[in-house]
Amino acid sequence: MTGFWRRHSIHGITGLLLLPAILCFFGLFFYPMLLTIVLSFRPEGQAVGWTLENYTRFLASPDGRWVILLTFILAVGSTALSVLLSVPLALTLREKIRGHRFYRLMVIVPLVVPGLIGALGLLLFWGTRGWFNLFLTQFVPFLPSPLRVNYTIHGLILFYVWLYFPYTCVTTMSALESLDQSIEEAGAVVGANRWQVLRYIVLPLITPGILAGSVLTFMAAFGAFSVPLIAGGDYRPLAVEIYKEISIPIPARWSAASAIAIVMGILQVAFLAMYMRIVRRAGGNAGAVR
Amino acid sequence: MSDAMIEFREVTKRYAGLVANDRLSLTIRRGELMTLLGPSGCGKTTALRCLTGTIRPDAGRILLDGRDVTEVATHQRELGMVFQNFALFPHMTVRDNVGFPLMIRNLRKEARATRVQEALRLVRLEGYAEHYPRQLSGGQQQRVGLARALVYRPKVLLLDEPLSNLDAKLREEMRFEIKEVVTRLGITAMYVTHDQAEALALSDRVAIMNRGRLQQLGTPEEIYETPNSRFVAEFIGLSNFLEGRVASVRGATMTVTASGLSIHTPSLPEVAPGHKVLLFVRPNEIEILPAATPADTNVFPARVEKTTYLGDTMDYRLMLGEGVELRVQADARHRYGAGESVRLRWPRVRSWRANEE
Repeated sequence: MTGFWRRHSIHGITGLLLLPAILCFFGLFFYPMLLTIVLSFRPEGQAVGWTLENYTRFLASPDGRWVILLTFILAVGSTALSVLLSVPLALTLREKIRGHRFYRLMVIVPLVVPGLIGALGLLLFWGTRGWFNLFLTQFVPFLPSPLRVNYTIHGLILFYVWLYFPYTCVTTMSALESLDQSIEEAGAVVGANRWQVLRYIVLPLITPGILAGSVLTFMAAFGAFSVPLIAGGDYRPLAVEIYKEISIPIPARWSAASAIAIVMGILQVAFLAMYMRIVRRAGGNAGAVR
Repeated sequence: MSDAMIEFREVTKRYAGLVANDRLSLTIRRGELMTLLGPSGCGKTTALRCLTGTIRPDAGRILLDGRDVTEVATHQRELGMVFQNFALFPHMTVRDNVGFPLMIRNLRKEARATRVQEALRLVRLEGYAEHYPRQLSGGQQQRVGLARALVYRPKVLLLDEPLSNLDAKLREEMRFEIKEVVTRLGITAMYVTHDQAEALALSDRVAIMNRGRLQQLGTPEEIYETPNSRFVAEFIGLSNFLEGRVASVRGATMTVTASGLSIHTPSLPEVAPGHKVLLFVRPNEIEILPAATPADTNVFPARVEKTTYLGDTMDYRLMLGEGVELRVQADARHRYGAGESVRLRWPRVRSWRANEE
């Protein structure tokens, strides 16, 4: 122990310089986190006492379990769709087609547009009287009624994909970029056609990149707040549920909200750990791309 | 059956105004190992890529075993290729790498296993079937590349600077190994390199390329002994050049005056006194003799300027006559020091008409 402190001792000016950072870290990260944990075990509205009721009430109720399931459905669905969208898109944009630079830029637009604005735009576009349905009713005969997209679960997944697929797409594109062209050439020379090169060489080699990117999409979708808040309707994933607990009831139910937040955090960390293990296994063999 | 296995017919390829292949015509015979040799940018890689189908020539035809393949897709050309950076599939074991061409051709599992085993035996890597490429040394990786290129018995083996990513000692070893494998299989091979030593050691014939064109084509001996231009002479081996004018022609011999020296050399066809010629002599073809040596034909006084010890030989820089610097490589057993006066004997001098350049 003393050895550790001697080796890592912070002395004099270094310690002084580090102090603001350390204070910030404790003040902005540790303290709120600790407070949330403590609150989640307090009986609602009380400053003393310990209880598990906040957790049991949430986890035991059908509503609570539905919220967790819904959050997973939204995150998994949008991640899967993002991958299905990203791979062909990245493959297309790799070819030096006319304006590929512009299209590449367009891919990251959703990342720079604030989620709220993006969601509002999407609501307007997909609404029963939005452009999408205007187009449908104009050009598709025998359409009984406008398609409902807004405030449905598939609509919400669509919005998520729009907002969060750039993470997957950008990493897929960079994985493709770093692929050694001569490896593909080698495949073609020994007799593999384009499809076979894609299937046996390109896809296995970029899979680690795709997975790494999709975990970002998944995490963003899992923690999504503003989009489901304004575009989710009755579909409230975990983040919205937490917000609901502190914004609707009077007085606000801080302990219930804290318990849900802790559940959400644990799920997120557990999922991330599981995912990283899968990614590492998938990437194990392709990791040494020259 | 025609004797030609690979034929370039007037192949032209331009890149944004730059001519990479300028009406290149070249025939590689069945069972021959031909080297395309040249400095970078000479068009040898472009020629290779036209042959693999990675790029399409702007004009001209490419024939493989008598069949016009100019419009045929890469994967249908039945080629085997070894790459400079090995280009192994990093996510596959050695077995799967070598078996890949067979898998693509829907060969049955048992037949595949036998052929893979055969190919690995050919390159002496039987014990490494379950290894991944990254677990192998550079030389081993290149041998896997060779096995993968040969496993489906292609008509033609292409080698794109296969040794330039290996260290010097391994390079020499692999050079013999490639030569041996190619000879044993009797396969037609096209070897692209910028390394003249490799070209001389490996090839049945060497094609020297310069600025997108074929500069000279011949056996290694022909290329080294009778280079047809200054470019070839400079590229293959070391050379000394002297510009001069023909003083007189007497039958098979002519006398050339260069830098105040009178040099006797075999005469050139249709040469007359007054013509400009370029004389050329290899550093190891000049003998260094003691200063007391009596004057004779093609014996000239010189002074040693600089010496470099190269182990088995000494490398001399000498000053000859009116400020002409010469490079000579001679046996290291008799040494001459810097500043020493010596005589040089040129038993053999070759020449070209100078306007030919």
